[in-house]
Amino acid sequence: MSGANPYFLTAFVIYLIILMAIAVWAARRTKTVMDFWVFGQKMGPTLATWSLIANFVSSVSVIGFTGAVYASGYSLMTHTILGLMLGVSGLYFVVGLVRRLNVLTFPDLVARVTGRQAARPLAGSVLLLSGWLYLVMQLVGAGLLVTAITGVPYHYIVWILGIVFILYTAVGGLVSVAWTDLFQGVIMVGSIIITLAYMVGDLGGLTEINTRFAEMNPGFVDPTGGGQLSWAMIGATFLAFFGTLFTEQDMLIRIAATKDVRTAKIHLAAAGAILSVLYSMLVLLGGATAVALVGSGMGVENPDAAFPTLITRYVPTWIGAALVLGVMSAILSTTDTRLHAIGMTVARDMYSYFRPHVSEGHLMRVSRTATVVLGLLATAAAMNPPGTIIVLYGFRAVLLTSAFLIPVYVAIYWTALDGRAVLAAIIAGAVVGLGAQIAGGSIGPVPATFCGVGAAIALLLIAQLALGSRRKQEAALATVAADEGVS
Amino acid sequence: MKPLGLPLPMFLVFVIVILAGSLGLIHYLIVHVLLRRPFGDELPGARPGIAIRGDRPAGEPSEGGSR
Repeated sequence: MSGANPYFLTAFVIYLIILMAIAVWAARRTKTVMDFWVFGQKMGPTLATWSLIANFVSSVSVIGFTGAVYASGYSLMTHTILGLMLGVSGLYFVVGLVRRLNVLTFPDLVARVTGRQAARPLAGSVLLLSGWLYLVMQLVGAGLLVTAITGVPYHYIVWILGIVFILYTAVGGLVSVAWTDLFQGVIMVGSIIITLAYMVGDLGGLTEINTRFAEMNPGFVDPTGGGQLSWAMIGATFLAFFGTLFTEQDMLIRIAATKDVRTAKIHLAAAGAILSVLYSMLVLLGGATAVALVGSGMGVENPDAAFPTLITRYVPTWIGAALVLGVMSAILSTTDTRLHAIGMTVARDMYSYFRPHVSEGHLMRVSRTATVVLGLLATAAAMNPPGTIIVLYGFRAVLLTSAFLIPVYVAIYWTALDGRAVLAAIIAGAVVGLGAQIAGGSIGPVPATFCGVGAAIALLLIAQLALGSRRKQEAALATVAADEGVS
Repeated sequence: MKPLGLPLPMFLVFVIVILAGSLGLIHYLIVHVLLRRPFGDELPGARPGIAIRGDRPAGEPSEGGSR
């Protein structure tokens, strides 16, 4: 603890106290299980928009993306960020129908389009594993970052962060999560704007930054990274990130939490516009970080260390403190939403399927218990994450997009689709997508996401054709039998 | 031409990303604000209650092959 920065540490402690105060206030408004799960379906546009923004920007976005720009340039915009932004807008165009289907979770939606309630615990299991892995990796990234910035040892930081977000999520559910997200979202966006404005002023303007960044390596300002990325890989990465927007549990839960279709649409429209500008600014901040650190002889070997180095060694202390709060906000607002989502998955999609007649109070207790237990397990796993977790984490975007994107969303619009065809397509997409990822990320020249999505489309059409013609035969036989009965 | 010091293709990628994220907002402003099209859930009773414990809402099909 001797290396701890007292200013950053003070900002960190005050921030946590304010956060807990908001959470306790919000928790008193949580009275029913619907409040805990989906804000009583009364969430308004402002809260929904900022909750989405705060959840969206994680420690991976802030540290990982600026680090990726530091190492490889702006090509991140061409695939990952374009995929994410188009995903938010895409969700806007289907949200009216999804909201009117009146589902609370993504497994509810899968059950609805397949006509099989058993799909709830099955899809829930996949989403539970995916959400929990995401939580562990967020905690690992957050712990490393806050340790680098504040000087507090990693294991203390992970447990402090873990206990804080578990406490307020378990006490107030989505009510606490949404109100703390509003606070965190504003701090996060504000700190990024302030920092970029400072860097632009310090380095002589945006044009100067980009010119010097291009001088470091012309590939840094090329959409394909100077030919380092093939268009197939760009397309596959784009598709994988685009698809996660439609298949992640927390996105569906927030849509269910909005008070009406208008609010659901507004929150995606506004968040999409704000996030696209914010991510563009983050990427430019990555370029400015590279120019500033390399230009002043503070270059780093590990790209993930670029942003912490900027905070601790380059910018003035007051900007560093603002950034510490911004980064903390990015971390906690993402982890609390994910923890709430996996707690709800256990109670709503799994427990209530096997025990459908328990009381609301009982479901609330199950939700809270699952939130605490899964949160503690994630925190414990983040202390020393085994390599398998990191490997599995890399599979989640491919798995979710391959399995669910096409079958579920085509079925929403193509109401004549047979539920068995949808289920078969989900299984085919999951098996082929995951198989290709395990086999090294591709089958021949075809990336894993294309393989998985392609398999899902193919099986959806083949199964629908086969089952459709069989149904026609059965209907024809039934008509003949009826005619014979009449005569 | 190098807008903001960026080669044109890279600058266009930034513009496309911002446009991509703003598609929903553009649609919302044109369709729901300027043209005043409804959202489809304004009628009373257009929103059936959600079954909290995961039972099927009234009118939903039972377990079976097709929807």
